[in-house]
Amino acid sequence: MSKIFEKLKVLADAAKYDASCASSGSKRFNQNKGLGNAEGMGICHSYTEDGRCVSLLKILFTNHCIYDCAYCVSRRSNDVRRAAFTVEEVVDLTINFYRRNYIEGLFLSSGIFKNPDYTMERLVRVAKQLRLNHNFHGYIHLKAIPGASPELLKEAGLYADRLSVNIELPSETSLQKVAPEKQYRDILGPMNYLKEEKEERSDHRPQRSKTQLFLPAGQSTQMIVGASPESDYQVLRLADSLYQRQKLKRVYYSGYIPIATDNRVPALKAPPLIRENRVYQADWLMRFYQFSVDEIVNEATPNLDLDIDPKLSYALRNRHLFPVDINQADYEMILRIPGVGVKSAQKIVSSRIYQKLNIDHLQRIGVVMKRARYFIKCPGLYNANSDISSKDLRSLILSGEQQNSLQLALFS
Amino acid sequence: MATYCYDGSFEGLLTVIFRAFEHRSIPEQIISTEYKQLGLLASAFTVNTDELLAERVLRGIDKRTDNRGSRLIYHMFLSEQDGAEMTIFHLVKNLVDKGDILSNFGNPYVAKAYQMDKMIGREVHRMHAFVRFQKVADADMYFAIINPSCNVLPLIGEHFVKRYADQKWIIWDAVRNYGIYYDLQREIFIEPDHPLLKTLVESSKQEDCYQQLWVDYFNSVNIRERKNTKLHLRHMPKRYWRYLTEKHSR
Ligand code: SF4
Repeated sequence: MSKIFEKLKVLADAAKYDASCASSGSKRFNQNKGLGNAEGMGICHSYTEDGRCVSLLKILFTNHCIYDCAYCVSRRSNDVRRAAFTVEEVVDLTINFYRRNYIEGLFLSSGIFKNPDYTMERLVRVAKQLRLNHNFHGYIHLKAIPGASPELLKEAGLYADRLSVNIELPSETSLQKVAPEKQYRDILGPMNYLKEEKEERSDHRPQRSKTQLFLPAGQSTQMIVGASPESDYQVLRLADSLYQRQKLKRVYYSGYIPIATDNRVPALKAPPLIRENRVYQADWLMRFYQFSVDEIVNEATPNLDLDIDPKLSYALRNRHLFPVDINQADYEMILRIPGVGVKSAQKIVSSRIYQKLNIDHLQRIGVVMKRARYFIKCPGLYNANSDISSKDLRSLILSGEQQNSLQLALFS
Repeated sequence: MATYCYDGSFEGLLTVIFRAFEHRSIPEQIISTEYKQLGLLASAFTVNTDELLAERVLRGIDKRTDNRGSRLIYHMFLSEQDGAEMTIFHLVKNLVDKGDILSNFGNPYVAKAYQMDKMIGREVHRMHAFVRFQKVADADMYFAIINPSCNVLPLIGEHFVKRYADQKWIIWDAVRNYGIYYDLQREIFIEPDHPLLKTLVESSKQEDCYQQLWVDYFNSVNIRERKNTKLHLRHMPKRYWRYLTEKHSR
C-alpha cells in the first residue's frame, strides 16, 4: 500500500501543469443504478492554495517518457523520480475518490513509454474497465497521445467524455524548437480524425439513442503562453482556427512556468500570469460576447494591454460606438459595454420592456457602474467626461480603481 | 399593520400571506414562533398553518408566473436571509397587483428575490462540491456532515441520488440538526433520534488510507509558483474547512 502513496505523489505532481480541469458539457447520465453521473455542469470540489479548481483526479499514468520536450518536467533528459501506475490502481483510486465525492471523474494523461500505441492502449484500458466493469458514469478525460493509431483513438472515444491533444506551442516553428519529436501534423491529425468520427456518428445515429455516446464533451487543447516569441494575435488566431476548424470545445492557456532548466526555453523569473489572464478574457470575448479575433487584437495592436481588460481596451479604441443607449441599443451592443456581463445584458433587455431604465435600475440589475458610466447613456446619469480623450479616460479609470483598492486596504 | 407569527414552515408562511390578503393588511413583520420567545411581542397575530390555503397561494402564484413563481419563493424561503419573509410577501403582492413582473429586474422586490435565489443557489452548488463522504466501518454506508449557510438539504438530495444510486448514504446538516438518508430506494429526512445514527462508528483503516491519499493528492497538485491565497479563500471560505477532509487539521 505504501507504494501507491509514493506513485500518487509523483504522478499527480507531474500532471499538475496541464491547465484543463473542466468536467462539464457531457451528456452521460446514470443508468441501471450504477455509479456516477456526468450530465450538465461540472463541479469544482476543491481549490488548491494557488486558487485553481480541483475537479478531476488529474494524474499521469506514467512519467517515463521517450520524448524530450523542453518545457516539460517529464522530459527524458530531466533528472526526476519516475513511477508508473497499473491499470487496476488507477481504476481503484478513481472509484474510491468518486464515492467520497472528492472528484467528478478522471483526467488521465501520460508520458510516452515504449511507443504511442503502447501508451494509448493502457489509457483506453483504464476507461474501458471503469465503464464496463464498474458501471461508472462519472467524467473521463483522456489524453490522446500524439501518434497513436486511429483505431485506438476511436476506441478511446467510446469510453471517454473528452479527449485532448495539447498543441503546446503557438507556432510550428516554436514547437519544433522545443519539442523536436513533435509536429503539428501529429497533433492536428488526431483532432481532425476525432472531429470527423464524431460528426459521422451524429449524422448516422438514430435520434436520441443514448447507448453509443462518442466523446460527448468533445475535444480540448492547451497552449503555453510565454515560452516562445508569438504575439497574442498569433495565439488567439490559432485558438480561433482550432474552435472553427477542429471544432474544439475549449482551448486552455497556460502561462509558462519556468520549471525546466533547459536552455531551449526562456528563464523567466515568474510565470506570466497576468498575460495568461488577459488571454483567457480575450478567449471569453470570442466565445460568449460575439467578438471576432481582429476586434480584440490585430496587426496594428498585436498584444493585449496588460493593465486593462480586452473589453475595456476595445471600447477605448472604438469611442465612436459609445455611449450606448441602454434603452435603445441592440443586445449585441449592450454586451460590448465595459462593466456589463452576459447576465446583466440579458436582464437589461428583458427589463426595459416594463419601463425606461434609469441609473437605479441598472444598479439593481448588477451593472458595474463605476466602469460602465463612461460608456452608456441613460436617464439619471450625467456624463461630465464625454469628450475626454481615450488616453485620459484610460488613466481616469485606472486611477479610480487604484484609489478604490487603496481605500479598501485602508479600511479593511 | 400587524405582526404575524407562524410556525417556521413554508406552508405556515404561505398561510400568513393568505391571511394578510384576507385582512387586506400589509404585515409590519412576519416572524417564526421560534423567535417569538425572544419576548418582543405579546401582541403578535399567530396564524395556524393550513396546508390547503398554502396550496391555494402557491397555485395563485404559479398561475400568474408561467409556473416559475412558487419555486423562486421556496428558494427565497430556504435561503434564510434576513427579511426573506417580508420580501416574499411583497413579491406576491406585486404579482397580484401588477401581473407577471418576474422578468422585470428593475423592480426592487424582483431584484431582491433573485439575489436570495442566487445566494441559495451558490450554497447548493457549494454543497454539491463540499460534501465529503466517509465510509462507515463494517457497513455499506457513506456518511457526510455539512454546515451550510442556508437550508439546502431539501434541494440537494436529488443530485446525490443520481450520482450515488448504488450506495447508501446520509448527509447531515450540523447547523439545523437534521439529515437525509438514502436507502437505495428513496430519500428520507431523519432527525437526531433516528436509530441509524447510533450505528455510525469510527472509520476503518481502509477509510483512513483513502482520506490520506486524497490529502496527499490535494497537496501534490498545488503549484507553489502560483500561490494565490486570496483566490483560494474566496473559493473555499474558512467556515467550510471543518468538514473538508483536505483542509481540516488531522
Ligand atoms: S511527450 Fe509529453 S510527457 Fe513526454 S516530454 Fe513531451 S510533453 Fe512531456
